[in-house]
Amino acid sequence: MPELLRHPAGVAGTLLLAILAVAVVAGPVLAPYDPQAFHTLARLQGPSLPYWLGTDQFGRDLLSRVLQGARATVLFGVGATLGGVAAGSLIGVTAGVLGGWVDSVIMRLLDGLLAVPDLLLTLLIVTVLAGGGGHAMLAVAVAFTPGLARIARSAVLSVRTREFVQAAVARGEGRGYIIVREVLPNAIGPLIIEATIRVSFAIMIGATLGFLGLGAQPPSTEWGLMIAEARQYMFRNPWCVVVPGVAIAISALGFNLTGDALRDLLDPRLRHAAAR
Amino acid sequence: MTAAYLGRRLLSILVILFVVSFAVFAITQILPGNAAVMILGDFATDVQRHALEIELGLDRPWYVQYWRWLGRLLQGDWGTSMRLSRSVASLIDEAFWRSASLAVAALLGVIVVAIPLGIVAALRRASLLDLGIGVFGLIGTALPEFVTATLLLVIFAGPDGGFFPAGGYVPLAESVPGFLMHLILPAATLSLVLTAHVSRQVRSEMSDVLGSDYIRAARLKGLSASSVIFRHALRNALAPAIAVISLDVGYLLGGIIVVEEVFAWPGLGRLIVFGVQNRDLPLIQATTLVLAAAYAISNLLADVLIALLDPRVRYA
Amino acid sequence: MSDDDSTVLSVRDYSLDYATREGPVRALREINLSIMRGRTLGLVGESGSGKSSLAWSILRALPPNARELGGTIRLLGEDLRQRTRREIAAIRGARIGIVFQDPSTSLNPTLTLGAQIAEVLVRHRGLARKEALAEGERLLARTGIARPADMMRRYPHQASGGEKQRVVIATAFACNPECIIFDEPTTALDIITARQILDLFAELQRETQVAALYISHDLALVARVADEVAVIDQGVIVEQAPAAALFAAPRGEYTKALLAAVPDPRRRLVNAPPDIDAPPVFSVNRLCVRYGQTSALMRLLGRAATPVAALTDIGFSLRRGEILGIVGESGSGKSTLARAIVGLEGFAGEIRLGEDSFSARPLLDRAYRRAVQIVFQNPDASLNPRQRVGDILARPLKLYGLARGADIASRVAALLTDVRLPPDFAGRYPHQLSGGEKQRVAIARAFAAEPRIVICDEITSSLDVSVQAVVVRLLLDLRARTGASCLFVTHDLNLVRQIAHRIAVLYRGDLVDLFEVDAFDVAGRHPYTRALLEAVPIPVAS
Repeated sequence: MPELLRHPAGVAGTLLLAILAVAVVAGPVLAPYDPQAFHTLARLQGPSLPYWLGTDQFGRDLLSRVLQGARATVLFGVGATLGGVAAGSLIGVTAGVLGGWVDSVIMRLLDGLLAVPDLLLTLLIVTVLAGGGGHAMLAVAVAFTPGLARIARSAVLSVRTREFVQAAVARGEGRGYIIVREVLPNAIGPLIIEATIRVSFAIMIGATLGFLGLGAQPPSTEWGLMIAEARQYMFRNPWCVVVPGVAIAISALGFNLTGDALRDLLDPRLRHAAAR
Repeated sequence: MTAAYLGRRLLSILVILFVVSFAVFAITQILPGNAAVMILGDFATDVQRHALEIELGLDRPWYVQYWRWLGRLLQGDWGTSMRLSRSVASLIDEAFWRSASLAVAALLGVIVVAIPLGIVAALRRASLLDLGIGVFGLIGTALPEFVTATLLLVIFAGPDGGFFPAGGYVPLAESVPGFLMHLILPAATLSLVLTAHVSRQVRSEMSDVLGSDYIRAARLKGLSASSVIFRHALRNALAPAIAVISLDVGYLLGGIIVVEEVFAWPGLGRLIVFGVQNRDLPLIQATTLVLAAAYAISNLLADVLIALLDPRVRYA
Repeated sequence: MSDDDSTVLSVRDYSLDYATREGPVRALREINLSIMRGRTLGLVGESGSGKSSLAWSILRALPPNARELGGTIRLLGEDLRQRTRREIAAIRGARIGIVFQDPSTSLNPTLTLGAQIAEVLVRHRGLARKEALAEGERLLARTGIARPADMMRRYPHQASGGEKQRVVIATAFACNPECIIFDEPTTALDIITARQILDLFAELQRETQVAALYISHDLALVARVADEVAVIDQGVIVEQAPAAALFAAPRGEYTKALLAAVPDPRRRLVNAPPDIDAPPVFSVNRLCVRYGQTSALMRLLGRAATPVAALTDIGFSLRRGEILGIVGESGSGKSTLARAIVGLEGFAGEIRLGEDSFSARPLLDRAYRRAVQIVFQNPDASLNPRQRVGDILARPLKLYGLARGADIASRVAALLTDVRLPPDFAGRYPHQLSGGEKQRVAIARAFAAEPRIVICDEITSSLDVSVQAVVVRLLLDLRARTGASCLFVTHDLNLVRQIAHRIAVLYRGDLVDLFEVDAFDVAGRHPYTRALLEAVPIPVAS
């Protein structure tokens, strides 16, 4: 953790995540107005003293809406990713540990699923599940599973050939012990990095689904939905779309940078150990 | 040697497409339990539902359904769009080239801008230029396409006096300048996002190469700087850069869906969104397959390019 | 040490720092050395001694955080430190050449070998491309490449290590430089190939009278190659003398310690050959290992790979307390043998431990796996980075039921003491230990199981010479105390002649020779064994 703070990207990422955390935890409390309240006399205004970030087409305060939307957006991103990690790890670790034909079959299936771009796969699943934030989250989790399974599998494979695992096999350790005590603790690293970066993708896809009307539904303050609703008014008050856009960027950037910093920190040690 | 390599790759693409077709079919027709209910919605009468079931062959076991569906697909019968009452094949036929022109324009933008940007950034590491490119890259990857698209619209396409049209499409046959004017903003949106990502990757690959032992050896042979960079380094950095770009084509395809929607560009992406919003199964199935096939084939082309650049792959 | 006309390279009072986060680190301190025409100066030091930094300084290729503190580096009288970058670029390759350690990484994988040799000729000797290629071919022939025209068209991955290194040497000599720097050029090569490369270099040097700086950690090797030797320790040249004098009568403490650590087959470390008439405690019979079994899926896709026989019909036995050395080049199958015996590879044939016989890998039971332990080559990879040393050592105790509860801690402490590590190391993580310390923990782990057979797979190859000696001594101690037998796999012939009772020689998966250690030089040895013996340098010593 302290090393993370010495890395410039790590600092920036952690800072952004901290801001985000504040919004998620304390958003509704910090919001100066009720996010759903119409202030009909102050519609489509830019930033002003009573409304720090301006108002939308119904006169709703943008700052309050954005703060409240943090919860929906971030929880979506984290939830979807965790779902994908859970399912993906299970599949990937199984494939990596069992090897043989099980591994080959699973790999072929994963390759096939990976041939479909993330968003497309998500749309397919959303078709089946009907709209709504919860279903969208499930769809993204499923869409992420093949990619995460791949990463989990390759992490397991690379650890399996390391000599300390071989030493355990030579000792006659049981398979369970080897997986749990020797392989997993060392394979988790790449998975955590990928998961962190994926949260940023999940947030973006969630916002995209909201934008397309396939994710969170009104009156949710999900940021993608906010942009969709404000589209037709964007020329009269660009702040309606800029504010949620920047919010999405901050969240995605926070996770992205942190993930990158983690990868840089983990890599040199891995590379050093493997080079000799 | 190369023939065998190509043969293997083609075979694996076929396998992949097979898996994709099954996945698409499974997700859209098998999983929901009763696709007819899904398509018609909750207010359908029993009679309507029953008729649709028979029409779609839903009363048969799933493997029979899949087999018949696959057979029809391969014979060119891609079904009829429920909502638009036109053959899916004809819809896709029109839409495909429109999306393709968007994709090609975006890719051109990426190749022309991102690769040199990445190389320059690697050469001038830790300089202000590198930092700038890095920041640009970061922000680009943190903005979903619809946000970038919307921002570009706000900046460049105001309702009165904006430079570019705010969306829509003019066929090339009708008017070349019209076509181009409508193409620029959506293509730029896609390019922007991709350039951000690709330039970061190219920078990282090029950096790795520049730090390698053989580049150090080349410098110590007294070769000129330009010889080291262009003759030695670039060749080795391009192959992995292409590998990255080919993965990004998947990202591009996802982006096309959104960008077409924002700019009302009538391509495959818009078809898919329409299909999803209206539960139009045949439309969704066929367009997904086309996009997946496009992705797989672009990966194959990339692999061929990499084999041409890297003798280790060629003579493996 | 005065400079006269025949001095090609001269370094005077040169000092170098590296600026690091923790402050400046002194890499080189007041270095003084000279190399004459046609002479070779060997620079010997362990890792971290600064020997590579000196090479970078001479070539003016220091990293950005290097700070030169003074002194001169003169090539034929011109101070290189005063030259501009362009002038240096003209000098590199043309007047100073360099041969790196690993030809696999110092050649560009996407250019043909011919292109890479021709480009220096075009750049420095002004040849046209066609002439350069023809000249390149001639140079390759001079360095002993069998089919030079063919080799010119190949890519690096299509040539062997020895062939690649010859190409690199040809490139270095191509422009008739005044001085060549060799940075551990034979470390990545097989013993026999290494010897051929050294002979080639000696020939070329006689011909061209080039001055050479030969950097290495291998004292024995340097003794054979160099006219003069400088020993460097932590940035300081602690001793410098003509080779024969240095090895016959070393004066510095460090030099003496270094020399003492070098394996010398004339200095036996083990006495008392084991009881010859006792029945063997361990034996293998017609042991075979095959790789490349194709899975069913691959066969379906029509891609059946031909199986490769890694080991064929290996047979030998071990007596109690005996050390059997297994020697061979890379690709000989010695690691495969170690892995098969310890149950990491499938095998055909028979393994006998005491009264029990095993004919396949799944049959190796818990008792066998406890009795046969292995220590691996790479200390960085053989310990789980997420476990503390104490847990790593406790595991075999728990697994085999050798200790329980409170006993475990004291047993672990005893094990650490056995390998001369402080007991409080039990609380440390592997990355907090040095390479030698990690290897000692690995040895302790192997002996924790109270084994009857210990297999050592190249356990000293990744360690510095002085650390090697310590580790070997420890191993011998433990073995003597516990009466375990040992299978010592290595490519270091001198070392194995010091510690083994018998030696087995592997060549391409076959056991070609098996003999008592003092019968190394006797008639009746396999020709490959003879070739190995001739190729290995024995340190010039008292």
